[in-house]
Amino acid sequence: MTAVSPMAGGGAGPQNVFMDQFNLEARTQRVWDINHAIWFTLMGVGGGVFLAGRILNLTEGLGYVLGIPTVDVVSFLAIAVGGAILVADLGRPLQAWRAFVNVRTSWISWGAWSDLIFLVMAGLLVLPALSLGGSEPFSGLGWDPHGGDGGGLALEIIAGVAAVVVMTYAGAVLARPRAIPYWNSPAVPLQFLLSSAAMSVAVVMLIEVIAGEPVTAGQMVLLGLLTAALTVAVVVHLLARTDAPGKKESLDRLLRGQYRSMFVWGVFASGTVAPAVLAFAGAVVGVSGARDALAVICCVLLVPGGFWLRLLTLRVGIFPPVHIPSVSGPRMAAP
Amino acid sequence: MTRWGMVIDAARCVGCQACTVACKTENQSPLDAWYAPVIEWEEGEFPDATLNYLPVLCNHCEDAPCVTACPSGALTRRDDGIVMADEDVCIGSRACMTACPYGALHFFEDRGTVAVEGAPAEAVPSVPERYAHQRHVRGAVSKCTYCAHKIDFGLENGLEVGVHPLATPACVVTCPAECRIFGDLDDPDSNVSQYLAEHGGGEALRPDAKTLPSTQYVGLP
Repeated sequence: MTAVSPMAGGGAGPQNVFMDQFNLEARTQRVWDINHAIWFTLMGVGGGVFLAGRILNLTEGLGYVLGIPTVDVVSFLAIAVGGAILVADLGRPLQAWRAFVNVRTSWISWGAWSDLIFLVMAGLLVLPALSLGGSEPFSGLGWDPHGGDGGGLALEIIAGVAAVVVMTYAGAVLARPRAIPYWNSPAVPLQFLLSSAAMSVAVVMLIEVIAGEPVTAGQMVLLGLLTAALTVAVVVHLLARTDAPGKKESLDRLLRGQYRSMFVWGVFASGTVAPAVLAFAGAVVGVSGARDALAVICCVLLVPGGFWLRLLTLRVGIFPPVHIPSVSGPRMAAP
Repeated sequence: MTRWGMVIDAARCVGCQACTVACKTENQSPLDAWYAPVIEWEEGEFPDATLNYLPVLCNHCEDAPCVTACPSGALTRRDDGIVMADEDVCIGSRACMTACPYGALHFFEDRGTVAVEGAPAEAVPSVPERYAHQRHVRGAVSKCTYCAHKIDFGLENGLEVGVHPLATPACVVTCPAECRIFGDLDDPDSNVSQYLAEHGGGEALRPDAKTLPSTQYVGLP
């Protein structure tokens, strides 16, 4: 088609008000932006830090706040702040409780439930350790806040499963509908999960360094594997269905257009490749202080990289035209 | 089983936007929210240029991604196939807006815009809640309902839906070119089914989205 479309293209005219919503040309979604990128990131880090602390067995020895391990406090704070931003961004925040209703099909409902279950179960888990004014009012609850007995382990497993959903669901929300081809891919929730896991391990290592504990080579290998897997997931997503209407425009904007620098340098180079290289280097370096420094650098690179990944994923969400002239779809059978 | 649907013969559209205005008037949609506009675009180059028109609205999909994505249950699909938005239940997450391939959902932002907060039911005493559909909630999402209030009114009062003006969507009633036809897609004798049969079936917009829309097109450019 050789189209000359001043009305659809943003020129002056009374029709423009329609074109923003019903556009024959590809249309960028403007519904979700920076607020969503922030809470996507915070939820990912919140769920991930709890998991990383438990998997790496780092809940003890890295400091405590009111008797609760620092890593758990960081996790709860991230989830709470992320949740507050989520609710504040709703059109009707006072109706937020209704987000729990449609668990049958809505990933947002699944996310709301997983956030709640995580906070309740993880909160219950650490409650016996809560120290207020020198006393531990909940110490008689009867389970080990570090998951060392049956009750503690059960709470830890439930909270851990919920944390995995918390880390993933934002990507699933984007990936499920077919409306935006760039989002409609299992690579999106996979990227979000891997990015959350990598950011979280890096944050836990930062807490470790701040607490004066040495970062181990094994932790650096784990971080390197996560960031390498994230790199692969990003590349695979970029290479899939590149000519699909809508995705082509998304890739143009990401790789050649206005977000090129932010994506290439902010997400790809410093948010995935560089941390992977530094993490593997840290695993083989023999000096503990150097490894700690590399871990801190990885954290400084990964967290902003994870945020940019989410923000750019949102910003290159493009709807293809509702109709492509001369390209007919399947006809509906006449009754 | 009834499944209300609309056939739009794009080749008949003259681009007058009467449907756009009739819908706005009937539903008092919030400022910037146009439930049923007509897209215009030029194709080709002089002297072989053509001006094309494409009336669009909610496609009332059988597999409606907006209903699937909505966390609050505000978006529902009635048994007759009409996808409704309950603005009182909507939380304003706008997940539906990112899920709809047609851009058919509209967020009512509080930007000092004017909307009818509640029209007087006593204006038509014989039809309680006659104007309930004109109440819009700030911070919620609204959409085309195929003028469900008119369809329900018609059914309650024995009027033929898709034929009688009081029982037919406003955009269909007002179209001077009769390019919109409304009726029961599941009834082989209905006007929509007959029209589809005469034209060898209809086409969907964004067929890649696989939403099974109840709004079908013939004569697409």
